Amino acid sequence: MMLRRILIANRGEIALRVMRTCERLGIETVLAASDADLNSVPARRADRVIRLGPAAAAASYLSVDAVVGAARAAGADALHPGYGFLSENAELARACAAAGIIFIGPTPDQLLAVGDKLRARSHAIAAGLTVAPGGDVSNHEDAVKLAAQVGYPVLIKAVGGGGGRGMKRVAEPGGLSEALDLAISEAAAAFGDPRIYLERYVAAGRHVEVQILGDGHQVVHLGTRDCSIQRRYQKLIEEAPAPQLPEDVRVRMHEAAVSFGRHLSYRGLGTVELLYDVERENFYFLEMNARIQVEHPVTEAICGLDLVEQQIRVAEGRPLSFTQAEVHLTGHAIECRINAEDWSRDFRPSPGRVTRAIFAVGEGIRVDTHIESGADVPPYYDSLMAKVIARGSDRSQALGRLCGALERSQICGVTSTLQLQAALLRSPGFVAGGPTTDYFRTFLDSHQAAGHAG
Amino acid sequence: MAAVELIDVSIRDGNQSLWGAVGLDTARILSIAPVLDRVGFRALDYTSSTHMGVAVRHHAEDPWERIRLTRDAMPNTPLQFIGTGLRFISWELASPEFMQLVYDRLVANGISRFVVLEPMHDMHALLESARMIRRAGGTEIIAALTFTLSAVHDDEFYAALAERLSKSPNIDRLYIKDPSGLLTSERARVLIPAIRARIGSMALELHSHCTIGLSAQSYMVAAELGVSVLQTALGPLANGGSLPDAERVVANLRELGHTVDVDDRLLAASARYFALMARAESLPFGVPQDFDAAYLRHQLAGGVLTTTRRQLAELGLEHRFADVLREVVRVRAELGYPIMVTPFPQMVCSQALFNILSSDRYANVSDQIIRYALGKFGRPSAPIDAAVLKRILDRGRADEIRREPGPPDLDEQRRQFKPGISDEEFMLRATMPAQLVDAMVARGPAVRRYNPATRPILKLLSALREQEVKDLVVEKPGFRLALHRQVS
Repeated sequence: MMLRRILIANRGEIALRVMRTCERLGIETVLAASDADLNSVPARRADRVIRLGPAAAAASYLSVDAVVGAARAAGADALHPGYGFLSENAELARACAAAGIIFIGPTPDQLLAVGDKLRARSHAIAAGLTVAPGGDVSNHEDAVKLAAQVGYPVLIKAVGGGGGRGMKRVAEPGGLSEALDLAISEAAAAFGDPRIYLERYVAAGRHVEVQILGDGHQVVHLGTRDCSIQRRYQKLIEEAPAPQLPEDVRVRMHEAAVSFGRHLSYRGLGTVELLYDVERENFYFLEMNARIQVEHPVTEAICGLDLVEQQIRVAEGRPLSFTQAEVHLTGHAIECRINAEDWSRDFRPSPGRVTRAIFAVGEGIRVDTHIESGADVPPYYDSLMAKVIARGSDRSQALGRLCGALERSQICGVTSTLQLQAALLRSPGFVAGGPTTDYFRTFLDSHQAAGHAG
Repeated sequence: MAAVELIDVSIRDGNQSLWGAVGLDTARILSIAPVLDRVGFRALDYTSSTHMGVAVRHHAEDPWERIRLTRDAMPNTPLQFIGTGLRFISWELASPEFMQLVYDRLVANGISRFVVLEPMHDMHALLESARMIRRAGGTEIIAALTFTLSAVHDDEFYAALAERLSKSPNIDRLYIKDPSGLLTSERARVLIPAIRARIGSMALELHSHCTIGLSAQSYMVAAELGVSVLQTALGPLANGGSLPDAERVVANLRELGHTVDVDDRLLAASARYFALMARAESLPFGVPQDFDAAYLRHQLAGGVLTTTRRQLAELGLEHRFADVLREVVRVRAELGYPIMVTPFPQMVCSQALFNILSSDRYANVSDQIIRYALGKFGRPSAPIDAAVLKRILDRGRADEIRREPGPPDLDEQRRQFKPGISDEEFMLRATMPAQLVDAMVARGPAVRRYNPATRPILKLLSALREQEVKDLVVEKPGFRLALHRQVS
């Protein structure tokens, strides 16, 4: 099946990113846009635009009916869900299949297998991966026992959550009961699924993930990414490959991710997220993201593949055209996300009109953005404005280029994290490489103490 | 009204006819391949032994890698190889075992459609090539009916030839190959029905160059008379010495009530890509050609004509140009009407020049003419004039050439190169100077991305890097770019 017309059921930079590949491949793009995005840059770039619904995501980007209806109306062969929104929604994948539209992503069963975090955990165990000590809890008694077993602090996670959402850290036994009640009610409200589970909290941990690609038969990995610079589990800076990692650990991570993919006969792009325990030099399976990631450009920079193209090829039913031995990872790449947020006010979103947007270009620099002077950042969706990616032959060259690029970039009209990111990239802990997930908090405290303001 | 399919020749014949076969490299092909795949072409005229040689010689790129990558980038459209079946890359004749290896590896690397071509229309050679290609796994083998104007090449000649070819199990389709663009609408009206009547349901295609502007119309006649596939080119790679422009042909066919199932948006996008590339790389655009009545007589394409004129000028004999052209017509007849495609125009022209320069015709003959007279190029369509044949072969050099050893044995050839190299590399080493293949190997994998839109800026940047520039100002309405050197 050769794809000729793809509906893009997403917005912002990822919508543009998918369009760029489609244009290169000669595939017509139809953008499904909410009322808030009808005048966006992606809407102007798409071959066609179809109105998806009102601005509120629940009635547009999160509505399976609206999205499938748009794909039908557009006469699309396939649907690209991007990331976020319905990208890992098995119901959407099924509805597409029922409508004769190819869902560019894994099978519904695979989405279910990894969407339910507890089920993903058991698949990981079955595939021979190590998971963090812990497990599911059905009542308070179980929880108390399990927490005592794995040792405090513990993390309470929502089974239906993911991407850092719906997690609570409990430091001592005294706080467990209250945190459990809160977590259950929040999980029920946020994910429609009250189930929770418990895991050991790794104090000195790094978030390292492995990109995999499968065609339903063959699975290859495309190296590691380090995404330890996070604020409340939201990634701020990502790099590939993960720096300061013992080589044998890296190899074991690659193998673990491929085993997991093979276990699922995985189809499409996926990311196996691992928690690297720096002290024990060990890693645990966290979860799998069954979609393209925000941070995919750093992997593209080191492996030379267009990952959206690979998704499309797999969706067309073509086998992978290369083997693991033909994957060559060279150089280093770092990406930083520029959000419309005011960090000095607890990262409050700062929607509005961008009056001036300048993104630096130059050797080794790539900018994925849907923002230009005059563009709007609507208040309804996440605040990502741009991703600035720098590639170099090694980490220090990539970092130097990224710092230079941020210095030459400018965003006016909305408050952005541009300056904060520039400072973060220059901070000694980041420059040294391999900081743990608590690094950003430490950095922010000292940055504030030094008298910086938004 | 007919349903007509298109074959795009931009990458092979367009590139060869207009850009000397050097205008496209791997990156430039790969960057448009996925789009070409979705246009809906029946196949692409993709490569030839000449193009494969140019990849190594001119771009230091591996032509086999190029085939594999293109196949991967456009899996749905068959890729065609065109060759004479006698030689590969070098001008030396190759052994049948060597040619079998060529075909085996072409199929393995991603070629599925093959043209079998023999300008002399030597049936035996043609069918032998087809048999080898079939054995290699070629799925579509198309035989060329090479068109020319001569005393022997009448409608019956082509109809009989077509009939015989159509009976071979190793020939799947036929095409009228008009390399010199000589087919008028009037001739098409009688030639095509004559051929069609003798080949049953076998598909017939038309490939006619725009050399004197005849093909735009003969294509429309062909569609009407049962030619189901027309071979065309895109944007700047159409017209001139190349084939008709695909967009124009589609528009004309539809105007006349025929249907063409191609994606118009992508057809335009492909043409635009080549146009942007031609501009960015200063490659010439094919332009529609004027009718030239004299050309129908001498059939010498522009390149050969220019070379001949230059050679005469260098000898101070420019005023003899008309005499040379007359002599060309005479020599061609005496040699049994070789079809005026490479290498024959060059051979006939230089013989005509020799004959004009000397008081004694055929006193001087080239080794190539001797080989031709000895039948080393195959059997001519009509016998060579007996007196001329005797004159050519009645010299010591002819005996030497007669005693030249045949093509080397495949095993013997292999032993000349270090063991362990791939068949693909062996075939390049066996047919090209070692240093060229070494340079290709040293270069490593080919660049895969090309964007004509960024080329001017990249050129500017690399020039700025190489050159001492203090100030640079670019101004156009509504735009001013000023760079000033800062002393740091």
